[in-house]
Amino acid sequence: MAETAKEVPLNSVQVEALVVMKIVKACAASFPTTATGSIVGMDVNGTLQVTNSFPFPTADIAASDSHPNDHMAASNIAAAAPRSKANATYQNEMIKYLREVNVDANNIGWYTSANMGNFINTSLIENQFFYQKEVNERTVALVHDVSRSSQGALSLRAFRLSPTFMAAYKESKFTAENMQKTKLTYKDVLVELPIIVHNSHLLTSFLHQMPAELPKEELDFPASLADLNANPPKIPLYPNLDSLDLSIDPYLERTCDMLLDSIETHYTELNNFQYFQRQLAREQTKITAWKAKRTAENQARVQQKLAPLPEDEWERLFKLPVEPSRLEGMLNAKQVDQYSRQVDGFTASITSKMFAVKSNLLPESS
Amino acid sequence: MAVEIPSFLHLARPLAPAVIGVQPTTAPVNVIIQPQAVFSILDHAIRRDIRDTQSTRVIGALLGVRSEDGMEVEVRNCFAIPHTENEDQVEVDVEYQKNMLALQLKANPREVLLGWYTTSLELNNFSALIQNFFASPETGTFPHPAVHVTVSTEPGKEIEAKAYISAPVGVNAERAAESCLFIPVPYEIRYGEAEKSGLELISGAKDSENRAAPVVSDIEGLERAVDQTLDLLDRVAEYVSSVIDEEREPSNALGQFLMNALSLAPKVDPQDIERDFNNHIQDVLVVSYLANTIRTQIDLSQRLATATLTMGGSDALAATGGGEGGEKGERGGQRGGKRGGRGGRGGGQQREPREPTE
Repeated sequence: MAETAKEVPLNSVQVEALVVMKIVKACAASFPTTATGSIVGMDVNGTLQVTNSFPFPTADIAASDSHPNDHMAASNIAAAAPRSKANATYQNEMIKYLREVNVDANNIGWYTSANMGNFINTSLIENQFFYQKEVNERTVALVHDVSRSSQGALSLRAFRLSPTFMAAYKESKFTAENMQKTKLTYKDVLVELPIIVHNSHLLTSFLHQMPAELPKEELDFPASLADLNANPPKIPLYPNLDSLDLSIDPYLERTCDMLLDSIETHYTELNNFQYFQRQLAREQTKITAWKAKRTAENQARVQQKLAPLPEDEWERLFKLPVEPSRLEGMLNAKQVDQYSRQVDGFTASITSKMFAVKSNLLPESS
Repeated sequence: MAVEIPSFLHLARPLAPAVIGVQPTTAPVNVIIQPQAVFSILDHAIRRDIRDTQSTRVIGALLGVRSEDGMEVEVRNCFAIPHTENEDQVEVDVEYQKNMLALQLKANPREVLLGWYTTSLELNNFSALIQNFFASPETGTFPHPAVHVTVSTEPGKEIEAKAYISAPVGVNAERAAESCLFIPVPYEIRYGEAEKSGLELISGAKDSENRAAPVVSDIEGLERAVDQTLDLLDRVAEYVSSVIDEEREPSNALGQFLMNALSLAPKVDPQDIERDFNNHIQDVLVVSYLANTIRTQIDLSQRLATATLTMGGSDALAATGGGEGGEKGERGGQRGGKRGGRGGRGGGQQREPREPTE
């Protein structure tokens, strides 16, 4: 199976409408706590078809301990849920039962909720690694951004870890040397796959019954203003006019705040690394001094016709500090990248909305 | 936000089988169905197994929340139950239902069993049997009534749904288990704010041939919304001008409504607008510019962190010492770059308040 899988790399993810709705519901219900769950489906010629999903149970643990920092703790538990042992059992059990009602009984990954794009963290990496290292490595992580979806288009994205990153993570080698060798940069950590939403025939037929386009024919006039207010015409689901909302600044502001936080983290990382550098330099001066002393001593011993002392003892005497892992820094860089792209997206829509407002209020100037 | 509300005259709910000591409620029930439950039922209807059963319908359990007084139930979730049906008997996998229910409740502890659904509009003897199973005190929803939702899934026809609760019918003692009276109750399909964007995306795919649509970015969604609004405005403008030309019949109510809407436009001085607009747009653009600068800085920093040894090839003096030395030099460079980034940000923050004065 591994050989056939190699032939066609995964190139897109096709999500059933049912799964979209289930994920949206699960994530919105637990917001702002992180929600996670499992997705099932199959892989057809490089397209991963996601056909069903179910949430992981987390609430029972969260309910049992109710210390003040409750929702953070619950978030952490939920974020770690996909790789916990209890949930693996739960998942297998659930899939076993789903198989009986003809649902694709094949786990193909997991989903998680996010808040303003803050999903790139060790938790995501660990979860996805947990799924991708298994025999069936063709798994994907779906990320649904609750806050962004609430102010515009649905934000659902699919990610996989890149093979180079997988290899590096397996050996947890995130030293500068190793990263040069494998040419691994923060841009190669995650591979994003395009998502396509797919509806079944029955669903299409159902959707056509929902309010869609405005009626083309002549309508009866409303009897009075109150009548019109009481029975407003049905608003179509598509396109969503909510995205015309003007109060987008809070989102931009929050993204900027989070961007600054990330930069703080970056700075801490740098300080850590500099500390390591100083430690290393100090140790190395000591070693050089020791070596020089030993050489001089040996020369003296040679003159005195004594056996020279071993010159590699310094390895035992001094301990070089361990280089801190570059993983955190890399993920942080990726996160900053993500935030700034998000800012870009926001500014694009803000500017267009602002021009619209301006020309609306000042029609003569446009 | 209701999508579909059939009108109902609802008098009173009949009594559930009474047990001494328990006072069953007699208030009517209103059923709210969330779209994802409908989607799930439709999905199940497609995946039904037609090999070893003669029935064309599938059944499943409905989960959700019930309001405190039991007057309103909200169907949020559902799961399929395997069953076989032929002329004279029906078999429901009770064990499966029990286990699946336990699993579902584990993940959604706030939800309870509400009733069951089937994918044909027909009500027959077996429906009564299953209904009594779901309404019974041991395995079902007693003392609350079990809700039964039927959804027609015949290809090529409208998808219809109906909701029922049941009352016992006294035929005689032996046949009580397999007979009951189904009473239609009002229901509506309702979606929340959070699901709106999801539904938008899904409905976007309904007119395309392959029933699929890509996830769009914010700006594309905005473009579509603006286009739609412009169309609507054109339509209104056309109507208004044809009323002015006395070509079409005027309507007082519409006129009032339009007046109300237009009076919402704020009255502000054009210069104020101009000034505020310029200030804000500059702020926004600076934020964007700085975000991009930060991104470049981070990119640079990451590159410098790793691209060391290939450039500083001359310092291959000692195995470890030389390498680390070169590394250190690069880190210094990176730190400098980092400082530049912070400086830029600080500058931006000073600049922003200054802009309004320009």
